[in-house]
Amino acid sequence: MAARLDKHILDNGMVVLGEPMDAVESVAFGFMLPAGASVTPEGFCGAPSVISDWIFRGAGDKSSRELGDALDGLGLHRAGSVGSAHLSLGAALEASNLSEALDLYADIMVRPSLQDEEFEPARQLAIDGVHSLDDDPRHKVMIKLREHFYPHPLGRSTIGDIAELESLSAEKARGIVKERFNLSQTIFAVAGKYDFDGVCRQLEGLFVRRRRKRQAPAGAVEVGSKGGPQGAGKYTHIDDDSAQVHIGLMTDAVRLVDADYYNARVAVSVLSGGMSARLFTEVREKRGLCYAIGARYHALKDAAGIMCYAGTTPEKAQETLDVITGEFNRLADGISDDELARAKVGLKSALILQSESSGSRAGAIGSDYYMLGRVRSLDEIKDAVEATSVDSVVGFLRNKRFEDFTVVTIGPKKVTTNT
Amino acid sequence: MEFKKKILDNGLRLIGEVNTSAKSAAIGFFVKTGSRDETSEINGVSHYLEHMLFKGTEKFSALEVNEAFDRTGAQFNAFTSEENTVFYAAVLPEYLDEVTKLWIELMRPALRDGDFDMEKNVIKEEIAMYKDMPSFDVMDRCRSLHFDGHACGHSVLGSEQSIDDLTAEQMRDYFARRYAPNNIVVACAGDFDWEKVCSIIEEPCGKWREQASARKLEDCAGSGKSARGEKASLAREHICLMSGGMSAQDDRRFAGSLLAAVIGDDVGSRFFWELVDKALAEAAAMQFAAMDGTGAFCSYIRCGSENVSQVMDIVRGVFKSVADNGVSEDELRKAKNKILSALVIKNELSMGRLVDLGFNWTYLEQYRTIEDDIEAIKAVTVDDVHAVIEQYNPGEFTQFSVGPGQSS
Repeated sequence: MAARLDKHILDNGMVVLGEPMDAVESVAFGFMLPAGASVTPEGFCGAPSVISDWIFRGAGDKSSRELGDALDGLGLHRAGSVGSAHLSLGAALEASNLSEALDLYADIMVRPSLQDEEFEPARQLAIDGVHSLDDDPRHKVMIKLREHFYPHPLGRSTIGDIAELESLSAEKARGIVKERFNLSQTIFAVAGKYDFDGVCRQLEGLFVRRRRKRQAPAGAVEVGSKGGPQGAGKYTHIDDDSAQVHIGLMTDAVRLVDADYYNARVAVSVLSGGMSARLFTEVREKRGLCYAIGARYHALKDAAGIMCYAGTTPEKAQETLDVITGEFNRLADGISDDELARAKVGLKSALILQSESSGSRAGAIGSDYYMLGRVRSLDEIKDAVEATSVDSVVGFLRNKRFEDFTVVTIGPKKVTTNT
Repeated sequence: MEFKKKILDNGLRLIGEVNTSAKSAAIGFFVKTGSRDETSEINGVSHYLEHMLFKGTEKFSALEVNEAFDRTGAQFNAFTSEENTVFYAAVLPEYLDEVTKLWIELMRPALRDGDFDMEKNVIKEEIAMYKDMPSFDVMDRCRSLHFDGHACGHSVLGSEQSIDDLTAEQMRDYFARRYAPNNIVVACAGDFDWEKVCSIIEEPCGKWREQASARKLEDCAGSGKSARGEKASLAREHICLMSGGMSAQDDRRFAGSLLAAVIGDDVGSRFFWELVDKALAEAAAMQFAAMDGTGAFCSYIRCGSENVSQVMDIVRGVFKSVADNGVSEDELRKAKNKILSALVIKNELSMGRLVDLGFNWTYLEQYRTIEDDIEAIKAVTVDDVHAVIEQYNPGEFTQFSVGPGQSS
């Protein structure tokens, strides 16, 4: 299955990527704007989530209501998100409506109305989102974990900070849109059923001919020292009268560009790839400590980690944490041939199963391009997974022991960490 | 697409939709049993039993089962609802035979005492986990209040008490009654060899003994009661509203889904423009759930305590306006477009197709192509929606809320 990759760079620098899929009638697209949480000016944490709402409240010659009705009329399913590096805007829809959808999204990005009276509700919803996180400790613990694990500002909350949101003005937010909605650094990805030449011509018309001025690249992110926004320690506890202690734990991992990347992915799969993987077996099956337990690889461009979540009732929290860290450390003692084989087939089939979804593929090719400056084919990834061996994975694990864990807990009881 | 069907002498129904352009295949065992088939003494047993199927058979331990699945790279799991327990796997086509054999084995589990005792801990952790998710908790409690006394109000998870009290013997008895071949549909979707799959299933599953497993069906209009739970540490008010609706066997179910989208789709609906766009509530969504012999409209709304009375006034206003003036052609058109594209996108995955295929057979004993569903949605008229509103006024709802203590 040698998939085709379409690529074109517009005159303004916007990268256009596409992966055609024969078997589908849908198309998914996404614009990755360099306006994520980590590149928001200091003191305005949460601004991207306000902006991602505000820009939909009227654009081009359409009012908020007209724009919403036009998007709904196309039956598209919005798929926007705020990440560390990007504010992503996109949708999945029936292929015949793609061209009309791109017209609307160009207006949203290039000609948003950004009216004062629409700013307040957008900001209020962002503030509400932060409040709501208190009622969702499982989600909150992972947001806090990223904040504490990644060097500031890479791990900054994508949801926001109430005090900083309260100090955000419409004027300031407009300035952020102007500075960060930089088309020359935007990646556009499309997957499914589309005509690439037609898409490129349309984007050229929407983003280049209408806007002659080429924007200067926005400033790069300055990465601070490790330890989170308040220079917090490696263990943070947030007291809450929840039924469970929600445990988030994260440790360093190699980045996507690293030679050991696939060894790391296989190692994480041995740890938590399937139901026979070590964490599920040791924590849940043998000891009955948790219902939800799992670890996964998480990567930003400039840093990466293995993040783990477990939720357990207070009296079991300490044992749960100890078993988890024990399993991380035990990996370097060796893995079996059978574990390696299961990890490989798990990674490969997940890749192929995901490749049937236009939304997944659009996201994957955009993310690859941002991380690597190119898009890996499915075959390249499969071959690289296949090329790992027990020796390569164990060698990697011994070379880079999991010694430092950043731990965050939310619940009625603290745990003791060894780090 | 090619539809296939075979019914074994013991009542086990095998169905399949072959799509040779798919890169994957999916198989599911749809057992028509859930919390509504329980008594209060054994509440939670369906879901607990779903967990226990993964604990192995006379031949295999739990670890061996998990390893065997993982060797196929399968994305496999199970879920339990009020009326179904579904075991499924999506795999690359070359592994379908193997996962099919595994599921067949697991459908006749050992249900060992030791595994039962250990898994009880996991079930209780799951109950605790959902207690920390008020958006889930409020819906569960609203369902109980709405179906007041009707079996559909039984909690899927059960309570800590009912799980503590449950014995392995009670579970074995429930299993023997409910996991009968005549109460199970096996469905396949994606790229697979139908004859091969049948040959794998027929011999072992043909030995399963037929049982009387009929479910008593009674419609339920809902209690219309209102109640609130408090927890001091909650930051927001979580509100759930439920009202009666059509069953899964009722052709008006498509109009029901469209009505729910007009009133409460995530974006662009009446709730969206009246509540979310104005930042009075951060979430306000309505869904329609067609069930076996009954159905319900269900809304979830989340807002700050200070906005509760204003939000509820607006919600009542939306319901009243829909009841008095109906919905517009334009609203219906947008709702159709959204539901149609969601349907197409979902069915592009073998797993998504499997779920529709299996449930259509479970509820209707009927094969419906994607095109059948598309046509049925397109054919709904404004008058059809109005007829639904007339019979099932969403303004007559049961309400359950959870939120922080109210300051007087």
